[in-house]
Amino acid sequence: MLDDAGTAGNAESAGSTGDAEGAGTAGSRGRAGTAGTVGSGGTAGTVGSGGTVGSGLAVGSGVTAGGIPSRGRPYTVARAILRPLWRTIPRRALVTGAVLGLLFAGIPRLFSLRLDTWAGLNLLRAAALTFALGLAFLLDDPARHITAAVPTRRPVRVGLRVALVAPSAVLWWTAALFLIPEQARPPVGAVTLEAAATALLAPAAAAVMVRFTDRAEPGGAVCVGLLAMAVLAHLLLPERWTLFPAPFAPRWEGAHQTWAVILVAAALAGAWSCAEPLRRWRPAAFAHR
Amino acid sequence: MSELVTRTVVEEAAPTGVEPPAQDLHPNRTRAVIALARFEARELLMQIPVLVFLLLYVAYTGWGMFNGREGMDDYPVLHDVDRSTQTAPLLLALVLFVSINRAVLRSRRQGTDRHFDVLVMEPWRRSLAHALSAVPFAVFTALVVGFEFTWAALKPGAVGHGSLAELLVGPLSILLAGALGVLVARSIPFTFAVPPFVIGMYVLTTLVAASTQGTHWVQWLAPVVTEEGAHPFPSDLLGRPAAWHVLYLVGLIVLLLCLALLINGGRTPRIKAITVLALAVMAQGIAGQAPGDSAALIAARAKASATPEKVQTCVAHERSTYCAYPEWTGQTADWAEVVQRVQSLAGGPASAERLTVRQRVDARSGLESDSALEPAKAPGVVTVGTRWGGNRIPEFAVGVASVLVTGDETSSGEVCDARSVIIMWLALGSESHPLTMLRHVRLDDSITGGGLALAPTNPVSMNAAQTEVIKELLQKPRYSVIPKVKAHWAELTSPKTTTAQVAQLLGVPTPTGPGALSVKTCEE
Repeated sequence: MLDDAGTAGNAESAGSTGDAEGAGTAGSRGRAGTAGTVGSGGTAGTVGSGGTVGSGLAVGSGVTAGGIPSRGRPYTVARAILRPLWRTIPRRALVTGAVLGLLFAGIPRLFSLRLDTWAGLNLLRAAALTFALGLAFLLDDPARHITAAVPTRRPVRVGLRVALVAPSAVLWWTAALFLIPEQARPPVGAVTLEAAATALLAPAAAAVMVRFTDRAEPGGAVCVGLLAMAVLAHLLLPERWTLFPAPFAPRWEGAHQTWAVILVAAALAGAWSCAEPLRRWRPAAFAHR
Repeated sequence: MSELVTRTVVEEAAPTGVEPPAQDLHPNRTRAVIALARFEARELLMQIPVLVFLLLYVAYTGWGMFNGREGMDDYPVLHDVDRSTQTAPLLLALVLFVSINRAVLRSRRQGTDRHFDVLVMEPWRRSLAHALSAVPFAVFTALVVGFEFTWAALKPGAVGHGSLAELLVGPLSILLAGALGVLVARSIPFTFAVPPFVIGMYVLTTLVAASTQGTHWVQWLAPVVTEEGAHPFPSDLLGRPAAWHVLYLVGLIVLLLCLALLINGGRTPRIKAITVLALAVMAQGIAGQAPGDSAALIAARAKASATPEKVQTCVAHERSTYCAYPEWTGQTADWAEVVQRVQSLAGGPASAERLTVRQRVDARSGLESDSALEPAKAPGVVTVGTRWGGNRIPEFAVGVASVLVTGDETSSGEVCDARSVIIMWLALGSESHPLTMLRHVRLDDSITGGGLALAPTNPVSMNAAQTEVIKELLQKPRYSVIPKVKAHWAELTSPKTTTAQVAQLLGVPTPTGPGALSVKTCEE
């Protein structure tokens, strides 16, 4: 993310240089023509006062006029930081999770096993969990403490990361579903809900961790925590509250209502935690008063 | 001589900071490994997940020991209790696997690997110490398992005898987790490898179980094999190769550890020799546990299930005879107490009937299938299962009462009339909380409407009107009902009497519910 911010800064400064050049030309044109017609064609705002290129740069940087954000700016910023963001995404963890998940889902076809729906469902759950373990690393940002100060806000950056991964996640899940043989495939809608909730839980937990701790890379802890939660939920929840029912078990409907609640809760918690904290949340700080 | 004197002088001299080199070239290597293992074990205990899972394990075990399990905990079957200690340590094993793996990779993660290169201790000895850091946890697990078993064994109602090999599986699974954690860390040195590895193991076991349909030798390759579901068997019918399995586990643990050390550069002749030895031990264990149930075992199971009288010993208490499998003979007094209680309420010839109480279990379909018992055909024979305590006691009382009323178990399954009122009153009338017992003994756990009352073999069905009468009867003082029962025994036990008539005879309000006036009540 460090070089990401740097590149974004570069992109921005490149843009502003262009603006400044425009301003400069406007200025020079103004100087070439009559002094009264200066500001008329200036896309970079009022340039009239800026006679030199240097002051034109100062005024034109940021595409804002008088502190009011212009409409085009978020798109410009997004376009500018998209490429560096793509470079900083922890692709190794994501790809490992995705490949292992596909491997799990592909086992029945690889070894041409005849499985029932229960085994197919378990395979899909394992695959979704593996993919989610990779997603836990999505918000890892070694330069987090430096990028806290950049003008592009954290929600934008987090949102872009999620947006970059989302299409491939959808593709991946479709592939995983099709890898499970027809006769072993559980009800698609319900399993997709489970997978979506699991997949969203990982980055949401990472976002919460970033919000409330000083950690720059919460991925490892979230990954282990998610696994522990899955194991514990599997082992300790009694039959009537289980989150992993067999297909067509009496608990199937209720479990998926719970999954829907988990999905919504994870989305809300993740969205709420995206904001850059204004001050660190430290219980110890109270003790020192 | 002078050399000896010199050495003594040197040894006695005050420490100078520059001590002479020790005579033995490697005096303290083992001690260093043990010291590191102790340090790492302490570090593990300091980690929140390990501590949480440790407490969770203890709490889970404690809950299993003290929640009562419907009162059956007072009569534990020890050769089932030993097996039930095996699953809970897996929680601890899982978290130790992850944590030991992380601990091995700590120096790599923090970039201090090269600092260790200057140390005298070889890297593989560090790996050994990491694997040994699981030992204190295994000892702790052994203590918990031992306490769990001793607690059950000290109960006055305990039957059977446990096996040490079954008890060892829990602690050994902890050691296995440690060795596996080190091996995975040394062969795939990324922390991220562990969670997918765990899921992969889960997927593998699911798939193997699904595709091999529980083949015996494949099933026993798993570290923990708990075959549950059936009623407790006599211990000689278990047929679990527990000792071979322990041998297999020990071989597997040592083999995994040696592989980790070999990968890590410890290619000394001694480690190579131990690897070969461990491989042989593991192979021996697999070979020993691979064959499924032997023909002799299957024959013994069939004999004990179909003709239990050939293996049982019978004891007489008062009028009746009680036949139990050898390990259960101590329980016959408890059965006799229930039989006498029920019989004291009965009237007519039933109050003096000589019953035969025979313990039975169906062992023919193995340890994992819970098959219902066939009702006995001979008159005056009551079946009792191998579980006792809690709800099993009123269920047995229902069985005794239905045989007293109908004559034998087969016809007691066909009770479709008002006789179920007298059966239920006989079974529960002498209880101190009869309505609670009625709720417990009924399948639907309610005391309104029609329902089934469980018994060791055939359940007894009752409709809404009969339930109403039974409730009224059980609420009345028992000594006001007993004379009426004794006086009208013949009518009460006749299949032709309607529920309304029964209510009239016993002096309770005539029921208003459906089926009160009809003789046959099963059709509705």
